[in-house]
Amino acid sequence: MPELYLRLLNRILTPVLLLLAFYLLFRGHNLPGGGFIAGLMAAAAFQLQILSRGHVRVRRTIGPYLNSSIGLGLAVAICAGIVGLMEGTFFKGVWLSLDLPLLGYLKLGTPVIFDLGVFLVVVSVATSYLLGLSRASDTSARLREGSASPVRSDIHTTDRPELNVDPTRRADS
Amino acid sequence: MLAASISLIIISGVILYWIRPHKRPWAGWLAALPPLAVTVWQVSAALPFLRGAAGTEAGSTSALQNGAIIVEQYRWIESLGLELSFRLDGLSLLFGLVISGVGAAVALYTHYYLEDDERQGYFYLSLFAFMASMLGLVWADNLLTLFVFWEGTSVTSYLLIGYSHQSAIARGGARNAFIVTAGGGLALIAGMILLGQQSGTYTISEIVTRPGLTELELYPAILVLVLLGAFTKSAQFPFHWWLPGAMAAPTPASAYLHSATMVKAGIYLLARLHPALSDHPMWLWALLTFGGITMLLGAVTAVRHWDMKALLAYATVSQLGVLTTLLAFRSEAAVLAVVVGILAHALYKGPLFLVAGIVDHATGTRDLRRLAGLRQSLPVTTAVALLAALSMAGIPPLFGFVAKESLLESLFESARHGSLAGWIAFGAAAVAGAFFVTYSLTLMWEAFLRPGANAETDTSGQDNAAQVAQATVHHAPAAPFVAAPLALVALGTIAPFALKPLDTFLTSSAASISGAPVHKHAALWHGFTPVLLTSLLAIAAGVWLFLNRSFLRRTLAQLPENLRGVVIFQKTLDGIYGLGQITARFSQGYTLASQAAIVLLAAFVPVAVALRQVAPNDLLPATSVLPGAPETILILMTVVSAYVTVRVRTSLGAIISLGVVGVSVTLFYVFFSAPDLALTQLLIEVLTVVLLVLVFTKLPPDTRPPMQRLKQARNVLVALAAGAFGFFLVLFNTSAKLQSAQSISGYFLHNAVPAGHGSNVVNVILVDFRAFDTMGEITVLALAALGGYALLNAPRVNLPTARSLRPQSESAESQQVESTDVAEAPKTGSTVEAD
Repeated sequence: MPELYLRLLNRILTPVLLLLAFYLLFRGHNLPGGGFIAGLMAAAAFQLQILSRGHVRVRRTIGPYLNSSIGLGLAVAICAGIVGLMEGTFFKGVWLSLDLPLLGYLKLGTPVIFDLGVFLVVVSVATSYLLGLSRASDTSARLREGSASPVRSDIHTTDRPELNVDPTRRADS
Repeated sequence: MLAASISLIIISGVILYWIRPHKRPWAGWLAALPPLAVTVWQVSAALPFLRGAAGTEAGSTSALQNGAIIVEQYRWIESLGLELSFRLDGLSLLFGLVISGVGAAVALYTHYYLEDDERQGYFYLSLFAFMASMLGLVWADNLLTLFVFWEGTSVTSYLLIGYSHQSAIARGGARNAFIVTAGGGLALIAGMILLGQQSGTYTISEIVTRPGLTELELYPAILVLVLLGAFTKSAQFPFHWWLPGAMAAPTPASAYLHSATMVKAGIYLLARLHPALSDHPMWLWALLTFGGITMLLGAVTAVRHWDMKALLAYATVSQLGVLTTLLAFRSEAAVLAVVVGILAHALYKGPLFLVAGIVDHATGTRDLRRLAGLRQSLPVTTAVALLAALSMAGIPPLFGFVAKESLLESLFESARHGSLAGWIAFGAAAVAGAFFVTYSLTLMWEAFLRPGANAETDTSGQDNAAQVAQATVHHAPAAPFVAAPLALVALGTIAPFALKPLDTFLTSSAASISGAPVHKHAALWHGFTPVLLTSLLAIAAGVWLFLNRSFLRRTLAQLPENLRGVVIFQKTLDGIYGLGQITARFSQGYTLASQAAIVLLAAFVPVAVALRQVAPNDLLPATSVLPGAPETILILMTVVSAYVTVRVRTSLGAIISLGVVGVSVTLFYVFFSAPDLALTQLLIEVLTVVLLVLVFTKLPPDTRPPMQRLKQARNVLVALAAGAFGFFLVLFNTSAKLQSAQSISGYFLHNAVPAGHGSNVVNVILVDFRAFDTMGEITVLALAALGGYALLNAPRVNLPTARSLRPQSESAESQQVESTDVAEAPKTGSTVEAD
């Protein structure tokens, strides 16, 4: 189990980092930020998770969505381009001004949607690399110790099969 | 209405998929409705036009010459010259009617052929998508619109051929067909762009009326490219072999795609561009040579095949050769013969394929060696088959006879005018005609007419082996199953007696091909002419060849394997795979360092070559400000930590000093006020350092011997080269000369807020001005994730090589093409000599 301070930091920092990522994403068009930076920031949040909770548990939470959100990000980005195609040419910027009662004046455009696609791709690609590499290093570390089999650790759940079960119990059941 | 019809077909396909047709007994009839509606609509739209044309035939020729029944235009991508424009004229009408008419029959038939097949809905979806593409192809009046639909037919036909995706034969056939037709498509788009640029318009109806296209300097290039597209699609020699391979498709697809419609797309293209391109000897000889070879090759090889579908496939190849040969000529008779030939072929070959499917469905085999005496068990099917096969043989008074007479007569007419080409074509057509008779008779006799084993075993009852091998009808076809080919054959049988009402239809199609009014008329009876004599002689020769067909088959079977197109193609393909492996081994087979060296040098060498043209003075910086104290410290930090990275002994130390290099660079960005870059760089640094620490602490210590001197030297050299590359590139970019030249950064700065609606210029460039680049980048990222996934998740085993299926030898292939396993087919000799 990782150190206590890491787990505490994780509790506090992960939501902050994720919020920061979204903040950077949406302010990116006018101030430093944007899809790439926000994606990396979110990946940093997941990296912290991996460090404190182990890659197996993180993979169990977000793993199933990683590959599909790469595709989703590409699709979102292309759709943003196709909206422009309707208006003239591929990737022509189309802007919509909304005057919302509470939030104030909001400008929504295809570049912002495109940035969202970039964000999705970057965060999923980076996180899938982080997960894959931490598993690979884990496996090789175990191989070196000679204690574990070289099978992929995440296929089997963390709770190991009970090896010291009383043989009689099995015969009874 | 044209666009609406195409949409109707697409939507019906989706609906058919959605209703799960294999569970609905009425699905076949429902599926037949939309194509039927399109057929009826076309007829009703064309009738007034044709009547008008008939009325004014003597005087006004405009209706016949280039008259459009309907013209539709839709705005699409104007900046690319793309518009969806459709135009229905005589030729489009002919093809449109064949596509929707045969399509209706096939749609009905499919439901019974794929009885209880769970993927029937998928098949309908692909079939209707294909039908829509095909309709779009023949109705399009813009070269690029036509091309879009042309590619649509390639893709959908790939899906249809590969329908039985668990069979390696089907996959291989689909792949080969796709590579050939899509490759031809690439040539075609090049040809079309040349044609469009040279003639100044992409509208087909304007191109065909533009004179002097054949005198262009680029005419040979256009011709070769367009012919490549047409020949690959229409299975002309030397690309003919994909068509028999595509017979792995379910029979409805074969009947529809590979006889009635898709393979005619190439013919359609040739016919469509005939007025514009045909007035040149190159056109004549190219079409004559390839069409003639295809015609003879198909006709002769058809006889040797035992599989009914393979026989029909080669017969189709031959017929396509006939049409190409005819299109070589410009006479009125020739273009009329093309029209009659297309119509007749659709009305006999379509039903024959459908019949082959019924036989397959009912008996479980299409092998002529195992079939016999179907006339007793499948009487209606036999009647349909006989009518269609007699028409294929060109026996009077069927439609096939009219087609063959028009063919021979037009060629004879050209020959009589003293044209050498005419004589060649006439001779080839006569020989091919004889073989047409031979394979038609073979098909009729061996499958349907010859006494079956039932009759034999009734009398002798001892020939057990023959009885086992003999296929029997175990699954009688439903009435609508047979109705589909019956309807087509009935049309083909009535047509010769209705030539008078059909006349304006045929001549207006012919006029669209020739670009001028056509005064010839198709007729059933031409009188006693040399042509009729040739025709009769051909029939007699065909019957003689039929009687000696076992000899013919033996001779053909002795041809060397390596001459087969499919084998040559497979060898080429294997060669390309082999080349890929060699390249990969050469460039990627070594250590990580050497791979990196290859990549870096590949970037360095071209720039080094280009930079040689730059005079040293050009590299002077625009502003010569000396670095202040903070910059100097940063530079020193970067250099020192880079050196430490290389020299340090432990990997952890190297990672940390590498991190210092990265952070120093980040600080540079901060100093020169580039917050976006700084943020990105910092995040990347943090992530990589943490990750590397994570990985390297768990890796075993490096116990390898120290690096060889030679490799060290190489690495140093590559690193220096890469450094020089970056240095000179930056120097050049910031040089006074380049800065004084027109720079685009001013544009970005000025337009970010008004045009991009954002004050962060970097971000506006990324997601708006240069969004296309960013799209490419994130696509590469996604691909890299795929690669990383494969690397990190793959167990450490050698992946199988990409070698694909080798083509079977001819006999093995014909065995496997059959839908069911053949139990010990009887040796060919005995059955053949028995009759």
